[in-house]
Amino acid sequence: MSIAIQLQSVTKKFKDFTAVDQLSFIVNTGEIYGFLGPNGSGKSTSLRMMMGLIKPSDGNIFLFENALATHRSSIMRRVGCIIEKPDFYNYLSAKENIKLFVRANQLKYTAKDYDALFDLVGLRGRETDKVKTYSHGMKQRLGLAQTLLHNPDLIILDEPNTGLDPQGIIDLRYLLLKLNQEQGKTILFSSHILSEVQEICNSMIVINKGKAVAQGKVADLLSLEKLHVVIEVNDEEKMKRILSESQCASFFEKNVSNEFWMNMSKSQIAPFVQLLIENNLEVCRVDYKNQLEAYFLKITQS
Amino acid sequence: MKPLLFFLFCCFSMRAVAGDDSKLLIREINKKFAQVNDYTANVFMKFDIPGVKMNSLNGKVFFKSPNKFRIRTKGIFFLPKQNPLQNISTLLLDTSSYTSVISGYEILNGKNCAIVNIIPLTAKTELILGKFWIDTKNILILKSQITTKNNGTLETNSTYSSLSNYTLPDKLIIKVEIKKIKIPKMMSGDLNKIAKRNADPNALETGTIELVFSNYTINTKFPDTIFTEKGE
Amino acid sequence: MKEFGAILYNELIKTIRRPRSFIGFGVITFICLMLQGAFYHDGKEILSFVTGQLDNIFTVEGKVLNGNLICFVVLQTLIVQMPLLVALVTGDLVSGETASGTIRFLLTRPASRTKIVLAKWIAGLFYTLLLLIILGIFALFVSRAIFGTGDMMALNSEGLTIIRGDDINWRWGGAFLIAFLALGVVSSLANMLSCIMDNSITPIVTVMAIIIVFTIIGMFDLPSFDVIKPYLFTTHMISWRSLFEDPVPIPDIVFSCVVLLVHIIVFVSISIFYFNRKDISA
Repeated sequence: MSIAIQLQSVTKKFKDFTAVDQLSFIVNTGEIYGFLGPNGSGKSTSLRMMMGLIKPSDGNIFLFENALATHRSSIMRRVGCIIEKPDFYNYLSAKENIKLFVRANQLKYTAKDYDALFDLVGLRGRETDKVKTYSHGMKQRLGLAQTLLHNPDLIILDEPNTGLDPQGIIDLRYLLLKLNQEQGKTILFSSHILSEVQEICNSMIVINKGKAVAQGKVADLLSLEKLHVVIEVNDEEKMKRILSESQCASFFEKNVSNEFWMNMSKSQIAPFVQLLIENNLEVCRVDYKNQLEAYFLKITQS
Repeated sequence: MKPLLFFLFCCFSMRAVAGDDSKLLIREINKKFAQVNDYTANVFMKFDIPGVKMNSLNGKVFFKSPNKFRIRTKGIFFLPKQNPLQNISTLLLDTSSYTSVISGYEILNGKNCAIVNIIPLTAKTELILGKFWIDTKNILILKSQITTKNNGTLETNSTYSSLSNYTLPDKLIIKVEIKKIKIPKMMSGDLNKIAKRNADPNALETGTIELVFSNYTINTKFPDTIFTEKGE
Repeated sequence: MKEFGAILYNELIKTIRRPRSFIGFGVITFICLMLQGAFYHDGKEILSFVTGQLDNIFTVEGKVLNGNLICFVVLQTLIVQMPLLVALVTGDLVSGETASGTIRFLLTRPASRTKIVLAKWIAGLFYTLLLLIILGIFALFVSRAIFGTGDMMALNSEGLTIIRGDDINWRWGGAFLIAFLALGVVSSLANMLSCIMDNSITPIVTVMAIIIVFTIIGMFDLPSFDVIKPYLFTTHMISWRSLFEDPVPIPDIVFSCVVLLVHIIVFVSISIFYFNRKDISA
């Protein structure tokens, strides 16, 4: 397995502010890699450095095992990206915008190729409309089209779900999975919709204040994490007794009325509920916070 | 007393003789003018006017007695307001409007010339003084200086050859005194020029227009429309 | 080379298709027609301020008010309206894309930043050339069609020069070439400022401010201004007028062209240097 992206102690300083501090990570080819961090953590700066929009103050960036500083032109032929929101020339139509990018990439596109591309992103029939008439979601789709038109090996997406409706989010998820699984494309994917990241990413990195705070396989990072579970029952006293005797829940706290909050692993939820039923407790509600969301909050707020 | 009276008598007599001589010269000149009802000629014009750069120009001149005049050519050119080709003959023909006297004699281009002064009899005319250097042998105006109220002094120098009998010159050089043209930079727009500072803006300079005539045709009775129709 | 050609083609399309590009074409057409209308109606009165100085002594014969003179007058506005129209588009070529965000897509393509900024600069020059062609068509050919042709009375602060009609066409050719060079300086300056600044308006306003200040310095014949005038590009922007002098000061014109070319080279070099080092945070 080769390396698609490698950052080696990359630092970026703006006057007296350090936006990215000694950031290092590796993305292997064929991975879908999650890139997470709260607002202002240095995500956008890092992505811009990877795409050559910003020069690092220190450190090295390698894409496809070639230094970005010296092999930029050949690297960029294999990379497609959306940084921040996709922007277009509003006075041109969608198709005219795409034609500019096709020409910039020195591709030869037939009318069929354009049709297929607009079909892929769900904009067929609107390609001759001026981009200024497009909604935000449609621009996101057009941005995807622009990213994919030259069949890149590496796709870098900065919050691509922004502005998409639920169906659009699902379509994007399936598209990325398809590109990865069927075509072996490497995807670096930054998003605030943590459930999406958890669904599709193999590995991830979490950065905070410009530094990496956690990185590795998603399953490995989250397997040790207990879920934050809430169970509502009809008998408060009986519940307290069972919880104190049980080894499933490591902590409990009673919130309002008969709602109990506790930490337990996912695999322990079903047996614990079963135990409550066997003790003649009526279980009114079982719920848990998203695992990644809890993990994210834990490591970024600590 | 008697010598004084004799002296005064001689002066007045000489003046009378000079006045009679000037009238004679003018009468002879006018006779020559009267021979020409109209003429056409080719003219080559050369200009040297302070503040104006203009290349020479070829044209055709048309004249009809007493004072119809036109030069037809392609292009822009300047002619003095007091055009001697137009005005001298008109001025001299009207003998009742002026008095004349020979103020002296001068050798001009090897020819003996009488300097005839023309003084208008009324203050209402444009003319202040006209001075003509007349070749006494060939009865030709070799030089003139005409001073008018509004147009300053205009000097002409003429040379003649084949058509001297008709007082039609081969070459006419016109000199005028003018202030050099100045246009503010804000109007002219030539911001790339640095102004010359030492020149006196009110100083008068001499401008010259040289006209060389050829291929005269005389008394062909061409139509008057030549002077009014548009075109070059 | 192919890659540069493709980028250049893209830039040309973007420049020509932008709505604001048509402002320049419209303004030039309007100004030319307006001046032609004014001269058609009041031409003699307008000319009298020049011929008035000669009125006492000379009559001016011949067709003074002709298409050549009209074109000369219109071209005088080169220093005023043309730089603004050029800067309006060229000052926005880079900063406009930075402000709108399209610069991100542009710079994440294989083409180097140097190629991109050069392509934009050439596109700006092409637009400038188009403006001049339209100006030439309306100012010269339409004026000649309305007013006819003939000798031209060129005004200078030191007097008049009458250029003969059969000696004028090559001068017009040279004048428009020098005008293109002059406006090329404006285009290059605007492009340079566009690379440095991140919004559309500031480069345009800055270019106009520079031209206005330098032009005002050029207008006044003060000893302290005379020292710096040879170094101002606005002084040399109107060197096309020297083609309508007699004799034509060839060394002065060549010197002005060299000064203008040097300005262009300096501005383009700064553009490339700065753009290559710039962090795109927008």
